[in-house]
Amino acid sequence: MNSATFRIAVAGSDVSYSCESADTLLRSGLRGGIGLSYECNAGSCGTCKIEVLEGEVEDLWPQAPGLSEKDRQRGRRLACQSVPQSDCTIKSRLADQYIARHAPTRQWARLTDVRSVTHDIGEFTFKTEGAALFQCGQYAMVRLPGTRGPRAYSMSNTSNSDGVWKFMIRRTPTGAVSNALFQLPVDSHIELDGPYGLAYLREESPRDIVCVAGGSGIAPMVSILDGARDTDSLRKVGAWLFYGGRGPSDVPAIDTILASHHLEIGLEWHPVISVPALAEGGNWGGEVGFVHDMLPHKLPKPLHEYEFYFAGPPPMIEATVRLLVVGHKVPMTQLHYDRFF
Amino acid sequence: MDQPELALCQASDVEEGCALRVEIEGHPPFAVYRLDGEYYASDDTCSHGEASLSEGTVEDGQVECPWHSGRFCLKTGAALTFPAVVPIRVYPVSIKDGTVHIRPEAAK
Repeated sequence: MNSATFRIAVAGSDVSYSCESADTLLRSGLRGGIGLSYECNAGSCGTCKIEVLEGEVEDLWPQAPGLSEKDRQRGRRLACQSVPQSDCTIKSRLADQYIARHAPTRQWARLTDVRSVTHDIGEFTFKTEGAALFQCGQYAMVRLPGTRGPRAYSMSNTSNSDGVWKFMIRRTPTGAVSNALFQLPVDSHIELDGPYGLAYLREESPRDIVCVAGGSGIAPMVSILDGARDTDSLRKVGAWLFYGGRGPSDVPAIDTILASHHLEIGLEWHPVISVPALAEGGNWGGEVGFVHDMLPHKLPKPLHEYEFYFAGPPPMIEATVRLLVVGHKVPMTQLHYDRFF
Repeated sequence: MDQPELALCQASDVEEGCALRVEIEGHPPFAVYRLDGEYYASDDTCSHGEASLSEGTVEDGQVECPWHSGRFCLKTGAALTFPAVVPIRVYPVSIKDGTVHIRPEAAK
């Protein structure tokens, strides 16, 4: 294996960092404590757009949706998909908000357990030699030997020194990685790289917490809610969890996934299903509709008085942001989500 | 009575297909755009992530924020693509003696 290390300089600043071979410009910078702008780490959002002013890079995904045709014509690249082949000078947006509290690291992780959360979501537990240090709500990049490219999955547990990483992963019919994961024998090893992400629990906010999840977006919300109950300043704030699925079988049994569910400081749990036909004939006692539509009806205070965390399919994310920011004038700084589109 | 006008820059300061950031004391920073020979003006700060729109891409009657790629209509300020959801303020522009003027109080 080529062990070359390259020096990366950020133009217009005195910032530079080293990038080991096969690492990306983005992740090596974040490992080095550099606040490179990013969000999804997976080629989709475009927030890590850069220009390479000097040096050579390999583009891991030339068709990545995070860049438009115009961006490519202008020579722009995604830092998350660029692997340097020489020393480089790049033009990039830097901001303190991107500096990692826990520097992301690459580790081998052993699968120790898989259990069912819903008919198509499994909870996967992995163990690393080193500690599992992350902020509640963050994600890691998971790579399986023999599959192309890593996938981003959010942790559903909280930071720990035992090296335990839990993920809730939905099996999709066409998902090469998710299908491979569901067939992975216990004790198999995968490559785990993290933590990443900006949609983490804001420990300094005194506001009540509202979590909105769709599908496997439940994982980071479980981490955030359990993490809040472990945080002195947040132990007593109000907490709501809204969950959207298509039918009743998409809804997890909340007391089996949330470690803090038994605490006296209650959590309001509002599962919502969107396909009325799937509710008929069953024992569905909950709401029917779109999950974001429930927020103004179920939350007792004006919406700008809450801290919002959400994860789920892009249409749910977009509808939730529109409802909160346009409809209810919630400051953008109180909305926390990672945009994977 | 006409509303007061504010002179922002020389028309020739703005290159075709580009934008220029203009700071004037007592006002938020402005962005002046030139596209297909027409001039447009808006607040420079994106309504989403606080990036400078004058560093964005100007094309097809729109400006695309350089940070999160949200797009705004140069004529109306409307937020056109996610994650931009809140419109930006745009101003009526006139060119007098080669100088770009706006009427800040006539913002849309």
